Amino acid sequence: MSEATAPEKEVTNVAVMNQLPSGDIRAESPLHHAELDKLAARNPRAGGVILRELKLLGHLTLRGSQDNQSFMDGCAAVFGIALPTKPLTSVEKGSVSIRWMSPDEWLVVVPGDQAFEIERSLRAAIEGHFQVVNGSGGQTLIELSGPNAVDVLKKSTVLDLHPSQFPVGKVAGSVFAKATAVVRRSGEDTWELVVRRSFADYIWLWLQDASREYGLVVKA
Amino acid sequence: MSQKNRLQSGGRVDRSKALTFTYNGRQYKGYQGDSVASALLANGVDIVARSFKYSRPRGIVAAGAEEPNAVLQLGATEATQVPNVRATQQELYNGLVCSATNGWPSVESDWMGMMGKLGGKMMPPGFYYKTFMFPQSMWPTYEKFIRQAAGLGRAPKERDQDEYDIMNQHCDLMVVGAGPAGLMAALTAARSGARVIIADEQSEFGGHLLSSRERIEGKPAADWVAGIVAELAKMPEVTMLPRSVVNGYHDHNFLTINENRTDYMSDKAPEGQVRQRMHRVRAHWVVLATGAHERPLVFGNNDVPGCMVASAVSTYINRYGVVPGNKLVLMTTNDNAYQTALDWADAGREVVAVVDTRSNPQGERVEAVRKRGIKVLTGSGVIDVQGKKRVSGVSVAGLDAKGEKVTGNVQHLSCDTVASSGGWSPVVHLSCHAGVRPVWSDEAIGFVPGPSVQNQLIAGGISGTYALDKVLAEGAKAGQEAAAKLGLQAAEVALPNVRKVSEGKPMALYHIPHTKPTSRAPKQFVDYQNDVTAAGIELATREGFESIEHVKRYTAMGFGTDQGKLGNINGMAITAAVLGKSIPETGTTVFRPNYTPIAFGAIAGRNCGPLFEPKRFTAMHKWHVENGAEWEDVGQWKRPWYYPKQGETMQQALDRECLATRESVGILDASTLGKIDIQGKDAREFLGRVYTNAWAKLAVGKCRYGLMCGEDGMVFDDGVTSCLGENHFVMTTTSGGAAHVMEWLELYHQTEWPEMEVYFTSVTDHWATMTISGPNSRKLLSELCDDIDLDKDSFKFMDWREGTVAGVPARVFRISFTGELSYEINVQANYGLHVWEKLFEHGAKYNLTPYGTETMHILRAEKGFIIAGQDTDGSMTPIDLGMSWCVSNNKPFSYIGKRGMAREDCVRDHRKQMVGLKTKDPKVVLPEGAQAVADTKQPIPMDLLGHVSSSYWSATLNRSIALGFIKGGHDRMGETVYYPLADGRVIEAEICSPIFLDPKGERQNV
Repeated sequence: MSEATAPEKEVTNVAVMNQLPSGDIRAESPLHHAELDKLAARNPRAGGVILRELKLLGHLTLRGSQDNQSFMDGCAAVFGIALPTKPLTSVEKGSVSIRWMSPDEWLVVVPGDQAFEIERSLRAAIEGHFQVVNGSGGQTLIELSGPNAVDVLKKSTVLDLHPSQFPVGKVAGSVFAKATAVVRRSGEDTWELVVRRSFADYIWLWLQDASREYGLVVKA
Repeated sequence: MSQKNRLQSGGRVDRSKALTFTYNGRQYKGYQGDSVASALLANGVDIVARSFKYSRPRGIVAAGAEEPNAVLQLGATEATQVPNVRATQQELYNGLVCSATNGWPSVESDWMGMMGKLGGKMMPPGFYYKTFMFPQSMWPTYEKFIRQAAGLGRAPKERDQDEYDIMNQHCDLMVVGAGPAGLMAALTAARSGARVIIADEQSEFGGHLLSSRERIEGKPAADWVAGIVAELAKMPEVTMLPRSVVNGYHDHNFLTINENRTDYMSDKAPEGQVRQRMHRVRAHWVVLATGAHERPLVFGNNDVPGCMVASAVSTYINRYGVVPGNKLVLMTTNDNAYQTALDWADAGREVVAVVDTRSNPQGERVEAVRKRGIKVLTGSGVIDVQGKKRVSGVSVAGLDAKGEKVTGNVQHLSCDTVASSGGWSPVVHLSCHAGVRPVWSDEAIGFVPGPSVQNQLIAGGISGTYALDKVLAEGAKAGQEAAAKLGLQAAEVALPNVRKVSEGKPMALYHIPHTKPTSRAPKQFVDYQNDVTAAGIELATREGFESIEHVKRYTAMGFGTDQGKLGNINGMAITAAVLGKSIPETGTTVFRPNYTPIAFGAIAGRNCGPLFEPKRFTAMHKWHVENGAEWEDVGQWKRPWYYPKQGETMQQALDRECLATRESVGILDASTLGKIDIQGKDAREFLGRVYTNAWAKLAVGKCRYGLMCGEDGMVFDDGVTSCLGENHFVMTTTSGGAAHVMEWLELYHQTEWPEMEVYFTSVTDHWATMTISGPNSRKLLSELCDDIDLDKDSFKFMDWREGTVAGVPARVFRISFTGELSYEINVQANYGLHVWEKLFEHGAKYNLTPYGTETMHILRAEKGFIIAGQDTDGSMTPIDLGMSWCVSNNKPFSYIGKRGMAREDCVRDHRKQMVGLKTKDPKVVLPEGAQAVADTKQPIPMDLLGHVSSSYWSATLNRSIALGFIKGGHDRMGETVYYPLADGRVIEAEICSPIFLDPKGERQNV
């Protein structure tokens, strides 16, 4: 994230809200009840599939036209990196990753405590028509890695995951089992799934089942 | 029992690994590498089935997927039963248990024999239609009888404990079949750099070469196969799938492959393994190298056990080391089948004679047979077979040059096996799946695939090419062509050296004549599995069924689990001959997926049991579980239905929940409501176009209820939308309709009004939503919220405020679905459970009572609020619902549904309109769905006035209430209608206002 200063003028035609409590209040990620930390503690150390929840991150949906120069410039200034305009790609800088979702939609994942400030910075930096929506409570990020992670994905999605078709950095939103996920290849053997909160339990069950033959290692 | 037909050596079985298996309750021995069929033949088991219609004993005929008779019921336990397994395709494992499918009560006894033998006249073709379809009311009885007697296999009565799964695959080239053509195609494409998947239904690659004694590069063909397989295995971009039947070939080069992962080794899959895996393959190019099935000839009593396809006999000898008899008569129309006589003789058993339908066969193999001193009867055919449970001899007679008439004397030969070959039928099934019509080839004497309709190539037997050198060359060419089409530099692959064999011309002959006309000759079977005879086909054509599709349906030819793989072409040839037409003029039937029967489990994959359907949970789900909620499915959401306390009935729980809410305060988890964040300067105008009511003047901080209609003017969703900022709204939708509404907004924005500056993003899962409702809800909220002025004149009904609830930033909406003072609290879902629990901590003194969807339904019905999807069914306008207050026709731009609502039918009198209904007896609750009539004395069918859409016991009102539809109901207040029920009762009800409680809305405005 760049050193964009806090906005001076509050934009009043949109209700911007810091949704995180200031006090010490327990936050429960979508997979909180799965008690992944306890599983991680008594897990086998070896297995073909390694799973961890990258929880409580900030998820911002950004919509705007690539023709709106203010939008593109403003995003670049706030994130310190330009929005990816090539379909199905992502960019990453520091703790910010940006996934192309459609020609006018991006999913920006940021540290959980920065979502509000980033939204305010964007609103201060951009003129014209665009949308920023904080969806941090509505989804979570699951990381799958290990040599058989790709096999688990092949059981779950119709996407072609071959390196020639799905290189590191590629992003695709698609059907995942009977739910949906935004799949991103973050490394040769590392994949990130953004899944909706209400479907997270189903996908957790599905992933456990699909990885059973390879051995599943849960990391906290 | 000894394996009396097993050779001492030879074949691909491992004689050091003896296996024991059970067939029809008896134990037998076989070897590792056997199919069940080869093991049965080794043990001299002749009869494996009783036929469908005539109950005739049947033996093993073929050696592959085309086997019509040896169709088994497999499984050692009830839970592992698998029906319709072809013995020829099932690998033997130790402890395998199987039994004959066709042949209840036993293949050896002849329970149906009397009926069957009489049935020769009693059951002509078409009996299925003529006899069993009428009267239709009897069909279930007939069906039960037929299924049991015909033995179509049975499903397990217990749950299948095995697991099946599905895997998606992608490749540049999918090669179907790993015989010589397929291996060459895969090798060539793979060496060119293509991503290749090659699948074969057999346990090992090699196809026909596994059964052949041909030599490649001067070595046994199997050695060459092993070399190719080893090279392919080393290539990272090649996926090899043995034991994998490509069962379907669909549009867009999408193929479904059923991989047998453990069926071959055990009755039940080993722990942690799936029994079968369905590969769903998307391929850029496909090479079909599916080979060909040898056609048997049609002759008298050609179904007596011991009658086999010639190449199958060679397969049993060469691949399995099993000679399925002692004395062979071989009948052929071609040179190729002479190899079977050589194989038989080399196995040390007697070839009685080769009967060749051609008058002057000449070719290398013919000469080789003659040199061995084997008798060759030319210009002749086997016209009849003797024997009941096993062949004991044949009648051979001279034929005319075309093979249409018996000309010579009939001579008798003693034998126990009759092998026949009428040439080969290319396996065109998969290309048919893809929509390619087969075309007749006079050269191949068979149907071959017509021009491809998608990225498909063919090579080898499927194209009517049978000589090994040509098959290998075609495979290499297909691989190169695919590589070039894929934009790769096609690799040059040297063709292996194969000795060419000179062959004489084969004869196109299918049906061997008898001295008697076909109708009086011994039965000449065309389709074994369905007992279709040549005479039956002739009868069908005489009765006027001249289209091959009609002949198929009338005779049931090709209807079995084998789908007519052996018999169809012969049937078409016989039809053509009777009609005096050529085979291409007569045409062919085509094939549908699947190529072989497939387990339901393999189709379902892991989408069963707890993974059958996603269950969607809210952030407070755990609390609901811990507090004993019963569940209602709303879409995929699991919503609390009601929360029974110990010993409570459902009604008692509902009464308690309703009264607590009306008297103090209740709480509902409303997180499942669809929520859509809408931003942009045209957001307000957009709302005016998708809702029926007006939005221009909704101020920031205010909420409004809206109705959404389709173009037809019919209500499909509703909800409250709030103005968060001048250019910012949050829309709520019904729980089940959220995705549809989101798509609806995008559809209209993207296709109709792209110029409007507005964006939509779903926030359904982001906000946890809890509604506290009841006279004490303000007091409760005030204990947890000190930064919102909750005064009734400051925070009014249909206002929203931002503040902090239980320490968590929240949007609080003062909206009500119960008619009570209500606050809908929305917090970021990660904090939902925290806030929910805090409300309960403070709510105990107010008897804060959780309520579920059922109480929600009752409370809203007391107020006459509709539920879209329950009270509406896609045929109600807002006017029909009595909601004209929610329609604004003064908007400058039109709105969706305005024109539809103005249609003649929508503005006529006597439309069904929503009303309230009070039963005359207040204790009686109308059933939902009951139909109203004005006069119960009228004759049936009665004139129906409309149905009950919602009906409940109202604890608050101490009586039943209902919402429903009545023709012209808005003008019939106070009238009486009657609801005759199926049990004979008639419930009398008075039409009334749908608002039963607090018609002035005072309770929600306090």
